[in-house]
Amino acid sequence: MLQAIDLTKRYEDGHLALDALNLEIKPGEIFFLLGANGAGKTTTINLLLNFIEPTLGKALVNGIDVMEQPLETKKHIAFVSENVMLYGSFTACQNLDFFARLGGKTNLTKKDYYDVMRRVGLQEEAFERKLKTFSKGMRQKVGLAIAIIKDADNIVMDEPTSGLDPKSAAELMQILIHLRNSGKAILMCTHDLFRAKAAADRVGIMKEGRLVMLRTREEFLQDDLERIYLDYMQEAVL
Amino acid sequence: MIWLIAKKDFLLNLLSVRFIIGFVLCLVIIPFTIIVSVDDYLAKQNSYEIESKQAADELSGHRVWSAVRPTVVTKPEPLSIFSSGISANLGNRVKIAFDTYPLFPTGHTVTQDNPLLNAFFSIDFSRVVAILISLIALVFAYDTITREREDGTMKLSLTGQVSRISFLFGKLLGLILTLLPILLFCYLLACLIIILNPAISFSATDWGSIALMFLISMFYMLIFILLGMLISSLVKRSSSSIILSLLCWIWFLFLMPNISTYLSQSIAKTPLYDNVQVAISEYEKEFYEKDEERQKQLNDEMGGDVWVVYWNANMGRDGFLEFSGTLKEAVEHARQMQVWKWPTALDYADKKWVLQRDYLDKMLSQQRLQQTIAFFSPSEIFRQTTEILCHTSVDDFQKYMESVRNYRETVIRYFADNKLYESLRYFTVQTWDQFPSQKEFDRSSGSIEDLFTVLRKIPADQYEPLNLDNLPRFEARQATIFSMFADALGRMAVMIGLGILLLLGTILSFMRYDVR
Repeated sequence: MLQAIDLTKRYEDGHLALDALNLEIKPGEIFFLLGANGAGKTTTINLLLNFIEPTLGKALVNGIDVMEQPLETKKHIAFVSENVMLYGSFTACQNLDFFARLGGKTNLTKKDYYDVMRRVGLQEEAFERKLKTFSKGMRQKVGLAIAIIKDADNIVMDEPTSGLDPKSAAELMQILIHLRNSGKAILMCTHDLFRAKAAADRVGIMKEGRLVMLRTREEFLQDDLERIYLDYMQEAVL
Repeated sequence: MIWLIAKKDFLLNLLSVRFIIGFVLCLVIIPFTIIVSVDDYLAKQNSYEIESKQAADELSGHRVWSAVRPTVVTKPEPLSIFSSGISANLGNRVKIAFDTYPLFPTGHTVTQDNPLLNAFFSIDFSRVVAILISLIALVFAYDTITREREDGTMKLSLTGQVSRISFLFGKLLGLILTLLPILLFCYLLACLIIILNPAISFSATDWGSIALMFLISMFYMLIFILLGMLISSLVKRSSSSIILSLLCWIWFLFLMPNISTYLSQSIAKTPLYDNVQVAISEYEKEFYEKDEERQKQLNDEMGGDVWVVYWNANMGRDGFLEFSGTLKEAVEHARQMQVWKWPTALDYADKKWVLQRDYLDKMLSQQRLQQTIAFFSPSEIFRQTTEILCHTSVDDFQKYMESVRNYRETVIRYFADNKLYESLRYFTVQTWDQFPSQKEFDRSSGSIEDLFTVLRKIPADQYEPLNLDNLPRFEARQATIFSMFADALGRMAVMIGLGILLLLGTILSFMRYDVR
């Protein structure tokens, strides 16, 4: 479970990136956090991952404060970034092995790595190829494989479908749904309304550091999510 | 986790182009440098052997004690192959004199057969290691943090069960594991060339020095790794980091040594040696005046009409006088003069030494100031430490010159204890009985043949040279590995302290590093 309690971040230059965010993502839930650029989505992720310190409030992972016990919370959280780069001189399998060990999974075999790479849809011939030869979509799949193999209770994703072809994006959604069904709490920050409608259990729209809208799946399917989102974006532009 | 990150970095570095370039650079530069240094050393060794033989032959041929002034020929230091230090700029010979203290050696300083080639300076192993290892360390470390940030791998790594401090130490260990083989390779290559050369023999202490040098090189490498990491943790982009790293490298290796020399010369002035020489000349003039005065006084004491004429007489510096035909009165006159001259000359040597010592002290304090200012540069601390370990530092030279001065004292004591300066053999090979008195001489006819008969002149070369078996010989102090370690300890402590400061700075900086 991921929680934000009055989570606030004001940067050194005075910019208020996040203003008292209150949010809870339960196990077995996919939460889509939508918003324009600079709305505070990535700041939320950075706070949950303890990359930056909150000005006020708390970020909790499975009920543990990330500031107080950062290493403990990292056991329960996995991350997929917008642009997975990894180590170009290592093969996909070597990258997977390194990050799995870093995530505390020290007893995995090559078979386990191959299985998870198959699961995310990576072609077999790419398993032992150096990552610098990979396309962005292939790298994203390896990034997702790293998140899956960590087997954390919570997965945080920052624009994971950005740059992916529709087929790969659809495959990714299927995997997320599968992970959700296995009890994972998934926070996904994106602009992709189409994917949100397809897979989200709840959506939130952020604007200028505040969560301005929160809808359950039933609610946003009734209300036309695209219209709601565009309305909020329009207001932001104005 | 630290080991996992270190292993990953080691493997990545091993596959990188810069690792291959670093290795190739060492492979080309190190053998070339060592071969040039070995050649220099062998030339010095050859020169030492020739000059030692010359000095021994010269000494063994003397017939009178006033000519006995041993020459100390400095044995080249085998470890100068690794760090030539000050040894390349100093002479290799010191003539022991009683009327003056030895200040600097003279003689052979250059090793090139063609002196015009000396315009092209050669650098020694320690200098090459200082330049190469610092550059390679910075080239590997400058982007150790920024590259991970730019590639986004740092974010992913830090979501693993790894703290920032473990991540940092992992990176540090990875760099050490990468660069250590390069450093080890440099040393093994150098040692291999030495071992394969039958003309060079290293003692166990020398090998111990090389082992300590390797240890110091590791500290040195670590300092530049940490410097690169610190810079990398202070900036966001690798492009900024490489520029700052190279600026630091130029500053520490090339600017700082020059600045420290310039500052030390500006702050601690040394007098011109010409002024010291003028003052010394004044003392010498005073001594000769006293000498003349004493001669007259002695003449008066001996009756006023001593005929001081020597046949086959040779005179020279530092009281050298050798004659083989004169009158008893002239011999006694020479002996009495020597009894006066001996302590007086030593007295004047002490007076001149006060001036020289003052000059030397001022030069040493300037040099110490230069070394202290240079402590701001790791490469300078490294240079100073390697010079200590290779016995080529200024302090070693000072200790050596001190031992030469002590040897002079020993020789003087030998002359004094055996009353050599007041013996006839101090200036003549003839015995007392072989000299005629004034009266005997007056009775001679005045013809040359008769004069020779009366003077009983015997050619000097018919006499045996002096037996110098008991004359003390110079023995250079042999440093032990422990004494060298103790001498180098202060600088090693500074290097370790600098390393700790850089590590703390890097930790502090990285703990606040914005990984986004």
